[in-house]
Amino acid sequence: METKEHPTVEKKKIASDKCVVTGKGEWYFPLSDIYETPDNFTILIDMPGVGTDNISIDLRDNELVINGEVSQEAYTDEKVVYNEYNIGHYHRHFVISDAINRDKIEAKISDGVLSLVLPKAEHVKPRKIEVKTE
Amino acid sequence: MGLMKWERTGPLDSLTHIQKEMSDLLDILSSTPPMEGYASMEFPPIIVSANEEHVFVRAELPGIKIADLDIQVVDDVLTIKGERKSVAVTAKATYLRRERNYGTFARSIMLPEKVDIETVSASYKNGVLLVKLPKAAEAKPKQVVIQKA
Repeated sequence: METKEHPTVEKKKIASDKCVVTGKGEWYFPLSDIYETPDNFTILIDMPGVGTDNISIDLRDNELVINGEVSQEAYTDEKVVYNEYNIGHYHRHFVISDAINRDKIEAKISDGVLSLVLPKAEHVKPRKIEVKTE
Repeated sequence: MGLMKWERTGPLDSLTHIQKEMSDLLDILSSTPPMEGYASMEFPPIIVSANEEHVFVRAELPGIKIADLDIQVVDDVLTIKGERKSVAVTAKATYLRRERNYGTFARSIMLPEKVDIETVSASYKNGVLLVKLPKAAEAKPKQVVIQKA
């Protein structure tokens, strides 16, 4: 029997002080999933309102820094009647190890979800060890 | 805790101490946590706004296929139904972290004004759903002409 899950909502958390805050608006901590396959790690991050043009992903030393900015221009002549979520930019960073092949990190964003594929370096990929017969 | 001077105490002193502790506890329990104006936290979170012509309902729905969304307006109630499907992950994948969540959802909201059901439009961009509901003619502000008697 299949049990249906229902998504829940948590209040957005303000990003930790480590982010570089520039410009207007709050910075929030987006939710993410990380999963591992034999060849790579995938990070999925929810960033509703962020498009391809307003996202920046930087790799500095061991840190992968992700900043997504949201524009609030659409609200100019509207009066907010009821509000359940905060609109703000997103910031999150991950520390990555040598197990990642840094030259081949790929990122794409679609429908407000950023997906980062971090391929594993050759030396950490699982390999089969042949047993020799003498 | 530092050293305290020992004082001879009477039998009623500890009772006053207990009384103080109890009233502190009651203070903590009776003060409600700040709600910050959040009436409910249902999925998806929404923002309702309006200008003179339209009512706008925005919802944060990252990673949803338009085909999995169902939006209906009946009288002045807007219903958003849908399913957030998890990414099809191969059997060999193991989750290291899971903060996002998936599943079916449905929520209905009462609109602040009467709307023209026929011309409601919706768009989905960058994970944000925007439903644009034109106000019904009777809900729009009307200029009243004053006549000189």
